[in-house]
Amino acid sequence: MASVYKSLSKSGNEKPESSSNGVKKNKQRVLILSSRGVTYRQVMRRSTDHIVIIISDSTFCRHRHLLNDIASLLPHSRKDAKFDSKSRLGELNELAELYNCNNVLFFEARKGKDLYVWLSKVPNGPTVKFHLQNLHTMEELHFTGNCLKGSRPILSFDAAFETQPHFRVIKELFLHTFGVPQGARKSKPFIDHVMGFTIADGKIWIRNYQISEVEQSMLRGNGEDIISEQTATGSSKNTDINLVEIGPRFVLTPLVIQEGSFGGPIIYENREFVSPNQVRADIRRAKAARHNARTEQTVGRLSKKSDLGLRSNGNRRSKDELDKSALFA
Amino acid sequence: MVTKSKLKMALAAEKGIDFSKLKQQKKSKEAAKRKASKEQNGEDESDLDQGGEEVDEEKMNLDAIYESDTSESSIELEEKIPRKPKTTAQTPAADVAADEEEEEEEEEEDEEEIPVSDLEDLEEEEKEDIVPHTRLTINNTSALLAALERIAIPTDKSAPFASHQSIVSATETSESIPDVSDDLQRELAFYSQCLEAVRLGRSRLISEGVPFSRPKDYFAEMVKEDAHMDKIKAKLVEEASNKKAAAEARKLRDLKKFGKQVQVSKLQERQKAKRETLDKIKTLKRKRQEHNSDVGTKEADIFDVSVDNEIAKHSQRSGSTRQQSGAHAPNAKRQKKNEKFGFGGKKRHAKSGDAVSSGDLSRFNVKRMKSKASRPGKSRRKAAALK
Repeated sequence: MASVYKSLSKSGNEKPESSSNGVKKNKQRVLILSSRGVTYRQVMRRSTDHIVIIISDSTFCRHRHLLNDIASLLPHSRKDAKFDSKSRLGELNELAELYNCNNVLFFEARKGKDLYVWLSKVPNGPTVKFHLQNLHTMEELHFTGNCLKGSRPILSFDAAFETQPHFRVIKELFLHTFGVPQGARKSKPFIDHVMGFTIADGKIWIRNYQISEVEQSMLRGNGEDIISEQTATGSSKNTDINLVEIGPRFVLTPLVIQEGSFGGPIIYENREFVSPNQVRADIRRAKAARHNARTEQTVGRLSKKSDLGLRSNGNRRSKDELDKSALFA
Repeated sequence: MVTKSKLKMALAAEKGIDFSKLKQQKKSKEAAKRKASKEQNGEDESDLDQGGEEVDEEKMNLDAIYESDTSESSIELEEKIPRKPKTTAQTPAADVAADEEEEEEEEEEDEEEIPVSDLEDLEEEEKEDIVPHTRLTINNTSALLAALERIAIPTDKSAPFASHQSIVSATETSESIPDVSDDLQRELAFYSQCLEAVRLGRSRLISEGVPFSRPKDYFAEMVKEDAHMDKIKAKLVEEASNKKAAAEARKLRDLKKFGKQVQVSKLQERQKAKRETLDKIKTLKRKRQEHNSDVGTKEADIFDVSVDNEIAKHSQRSGSTRQQSGAHAPNAKRQKKNEKFGFGGKKRHAKSGDAVSSGDLSRFNVKRMKSKASRPGKSRRKAAALK
């Protein structure tokens, strides 16, 4: 039965697509990787863009869970083992080629707390490097939303993505990486979630919602008219849509865009970005400054005391002519 | 911008070499080279495109409904653009303006290459042109656009919506977020952006005949497994029950507080009633003393009847309340037994007389005392005995 259906759908499908043969087909596959420091390994690929997701070796478990979440949302992804180098990222290109992926999503953990995400189109670039913050994985969020594993999301972009060229590039990369291509292997036929990308405060906020449809006729409960109308039209105009968040949540700050894939000249750099190291150093310095001020005060007080001859081992105060002991000696 | 050592510079100066001319020549050469490579590239790309189409045709038969398509094997990678060490790879689409931009970029690179130590050797005029060695804000628009053009998937109206499923919102979401740190407002803005996209996308997909909503009988693996959903449910239940328990506890606390209030008020009321009666008694007594000497006083007044009444009333009330509050009266059998064997109170001296019993004249009857036949005198008694 299935084969009959397959052949029928094949013949049925060929026509409309061949009519649009001028259009290049959206084929992506993503490799997901992490650097050393992500304590678990994951790789993703994208389907009409195949994506590789890779983690660097030191990402800690939260990062690892994020990787798992993303991998489960992207059926066109392939998780790969941790990549044990942070300097020779160019090797990722070969790795992606090996896995037949044309996108790479690389999670680089630094110091076990900062997470950087590289998003690259494989042979020719561009590559975008993000700093990932405000990470909440599906597991810790306890949202009630859920969706099919591998259903294609609707990608909702903020209008701000069209305003500047670097945002346009980033949007395109998101489209390739997070959009599940049509007909991807393992993808499910229905559409039940939406991914939102919003620019606020110079950062990109990412949310993932389930689409839940509630029939209004059910809500109202009045009348066969609505039901009959619905059955007649076949489509469901009388449905209310609401969204239930699924997770994960995270915020990306774009840092650098390179023209090549993990290489090449830098064509955009975000100067407003302050690295988390800098932030931490500033905090530490402020703390140190407080301590220094206090010690200075102590030293000053001690020296003052010794000047007044109040300390046992300090210098004696030189005797004044009018001192009582001198006068009445 | 020349990067040569002092010695070489001196040599060149002696030979009379004009660096600017040399540089121009170099540039023109490079430009020619670039053009040639571009043409090549263009051919490559067109080849590539054809290749892509072939693969596309193979993939035509994929239906969205199929989970087992062959796309994995048919990913075609872009051909790698050979990259020269310095020049950036450009697509044929990059126009003259882009070229100019690129030259600028090269100049920038040149600038960056000058070490600070060499700056001192340069003449004054040249120094003026040099930008000091700071990090520049890099935003190479033309290169960005070129890169975008290279990778872009068509998302305009020519392509079916189902091929990309991306929607750009009509308004900037950040406009509706006055303060990013305000969680509620921010999330609401994100939500409304997504909701708008879903409405639009849904109508488009339905019009394209793509199945949208999942039928009720379609079961498949979900992103969150059942175990995870159970956990979430348990969490929700726990939260709800915690809330309920807290509400109940508060209610109880309130009740307790209220109950105490009631008790206190009752006690106060009782106290008040007692005080009132005592006051009344006092006033009555005073009245009586005032009217003591009056001739026309009524007997009731004289004998403090009203006072007695008042006291009786009070004692009756208190007694009645005691009986009421004293809850259980013993049952009939018990009462009988109590009567018979005695219960409560002292048993000694129960029959001895006291002030009350001696004062009690209730059984005294004058008639009975008088009706007794008197004893006859001695002579009469003798005569009676003789008879």
